[in-house]
Amino acid sequence: MAESDLSSPSLVDDLYFVLHDNVTGHPLLHSRLTGLTLAGGILGELMLAERVALDFAADPERLYATVQKATGDPLTSAVLGHVIAEPHHPIGTWLLFFARTIYADVTARMIAAKLLKPPVRHLLKQQPAAPADMNTAAWPLARLNLAIQRRKPPVDRDCVLLGLLAAAGCAQRVLSEHDPRFEAAATAMLPMQLRRLIAQTKVAVGQAVISRR
Amino acid sequence: MSLTQQRPSAVTAALAEDRLGVPSIVFFVISAAAPLMVVAGSVPTAYTVTGVIGVPFAFLMLGAVFALFAVGYVTMARHVVNAGAFYAYAAQGLGRTQGVATAWVALLAYNALQLGLYGIIGSAAEPLLVDWFGGSPPWWVIALVAWALTGVLGLLRVDVNGKILSVLLVSEIAIVLLFDLGDVVHAAPAGLSFEGFTPGALFVPGVGAALATVVAGFAGIESSVVFAEESKDRHRTVPIATYLGIAIIALLYAFSAWAQTVPTGPDGIVKAASEQGTELIFNQAALHLGGAVSTIGSVLFVTSSIACMIAFHNTTARYIFALGRENVLPSIFGRTSARTAAPISGSLLQTVLGLIVIIVYAVSGLDPVTKMFFIFGTFGGLGLLTLLTVTSISVIVFFSRDARGETTWRTRIAPALAIVALCVIIALTLVNFDTVLGVEPDSILRWILPGIFVVAIVFGLIWGRVLKSIRPEVYANIGLGAQAVGGGAK
Repeated sequence: MAESDLSSPSLVDDLYFVLHDNVTGHPLLHSRLTGLTLAGGILGELMLAERVALDFAADPERLYATVQKATGDPLTSAVLGHVIAEPHHPIGTWLLFFARTIYADVTARMIAAKLLKPPVRHLLKQQPAAPADMNTAAWPLARLNLAIQRRKPPVDRDCVLLGLLAAAGCAQRVLSEHDPRFEAAATAMLPMQLRRLIAQTKVAVGQAVISRR
Repeated sequence: MSLTQQRPSAVTAALAEDRLGVPSIVFFVISAAAPLMVVAGSVPTAYTVTGVIGVPFAFLMLGAVFALFAVGYVTMARHVVNAGAFYAYAAQGLGRTQGVATAWVALLAYNALQLGLYGIIGSAAEPLLVDWFGGSPPWWVIALVAWALTGVLGLLRVDVNGKILSVLLVSEIAIVLLFDLGDVVHAAPAGLSFEGFTPGALFVPGVGAALATVVAGFAGIESSVVFAEESKDRHRTVPIATYLGIAIIALLYAFSAWAQTVPTGPDGIVKAASEQGTELIFNQAALHLGGAVSTIGSVLFVTSSIACMIAFHNTTARYIFALGRENVLPSIFGRTSARTAAPISGSLLQTVLGLIVIIVYAVSGLDPVTKMFFIFGTFGGLGLLTLLTVTSISVIVFFSRDARGETTWRTRIAPALAIVALCVIIALTLVNFDTVLGVEPDSILRWILPGIFVVAIVFGLIWGRVLKSIRPEVYANIGLGAQAVGGGAK
């Protein structure tokens, strides 16, 4: 399979695949942290597509929409719609807000796109939505592993993926080789707003760990 | 569309749905203070070790001191993003180096409070096991079971569920009040005596030791401000919950400590407590209310101790995690378990320390209640007193730079009064530390234990200086907790 046809799945889809078992679809990360990381992913996707941006002049930095037009995809359109309606919130607030619902939304979107099989009920136990194609699911992580092995920073989109994985605290768990220095170098080359997004995701994850609920 | 227009925000409304109200925070806060554990465990031990019968008055007096302290504390909570409240405040008020020293003292104090609990669980469970199975293993076997349970639940990040916690807490308070009632209507032949509530009964030799125990009973109340970010209204919810928590604890504990003295009379309580220890209130209850009620109480004593252990284990592990995220502790402590979202390294550290303490005490054959639970509790209490004092000083310094529209009472007078009161209590505790330890007044040990805090402070200050010169980027983020990794944006 050529790389070009696989680069079309979104960042969030890739993130979803990395955070779940390729075969069974079982989550590798705590659901609360998965929600926060996917929320970071959806904002990252919109930033990469230049639909939203950070206003560094405001304190705290606020997220605003750069384009008012729809994205063509219901999920990203809905996210963009929220940001357009309330352009005064900082990234941290948006992460918490989208983290509430994003997990279900992304799963539903990926099932609709036939990337995941619908969850099935075996006897009493609900099986999670499993990837439709194991190879598609394994590809994003393979790309990251390859980049780390070659010590060659990947494209921006994959740098964001790597950064969000590290922010979620599961880079060590999923990557074949954990190299914090390479991760730092890869994310350091990203535009400022994406670096802030990754840092804020790490903050949100840390606060979720500290929180007593 | 204007940016400043005020209309109901869907985002704010959605996020507000799972914010905490006053009752939830009060529940969280008081459950860490574990009422039944204090009433059945700490109070009789305080009577035994110190021989002071003014313990009820001590609870009321310290309730007042805590309330005074809380005035400045909750005021600061409105203006500071707090991660691990005490050291965050010290870092903002006194400077980052002092913040590091405060963090170390806090770490030591919380560890002591948590580890000491392994000493009480044995005597809490023993009577029940004897009752049900006719025999009981040594205390350290029970302690190890509790230790393993706490360790595993800590790694799984199982906090005792909010609902279970509320049910346990309400039953605990109900049973404590029932016991109290039973005691009060079965007064000693001499009649009701209110001597325990008189200052004269407290300010006798041994007062300092009694005060430090009582302080440990309040431990947990300071965690209210940690919920500021998660509360419905950080300007109102947190202060109300804090004052309410302090009031409930002070009144409940004072009344219960007094009720224990009613059947024996003030003159007999020390003897009764020495002979019966943690079984005192259950024996009284069995006599007054029947065996069934007493057994329910004993069961709740065990669950209360375990819930308290888990709460303190998780609090301390999170504290270590926050410090790891800031790189004040090695960054390995800032790691999370991906699977369970637990602060994994902090939790493991706590578990290892627990094992070491239990083994040392089991091997050396020291009494788990008076030598472990009580000494660790008082040691932690002394640390807590130090933290409260430092925090009050930080409040004054912080607001002296900019009052931020707060009143003089909140920013200067109340904290200053709290500092004076706390210093007096610390001095009294140090004077009586030989009583706490049960050693001769000229024993070197009485200075070694408080000395550990001094060492922690000195090393904290040195470490702060070192960070400032070799890792200024880490130094700049001290006091920000989980926010530290966000590049220090405030």
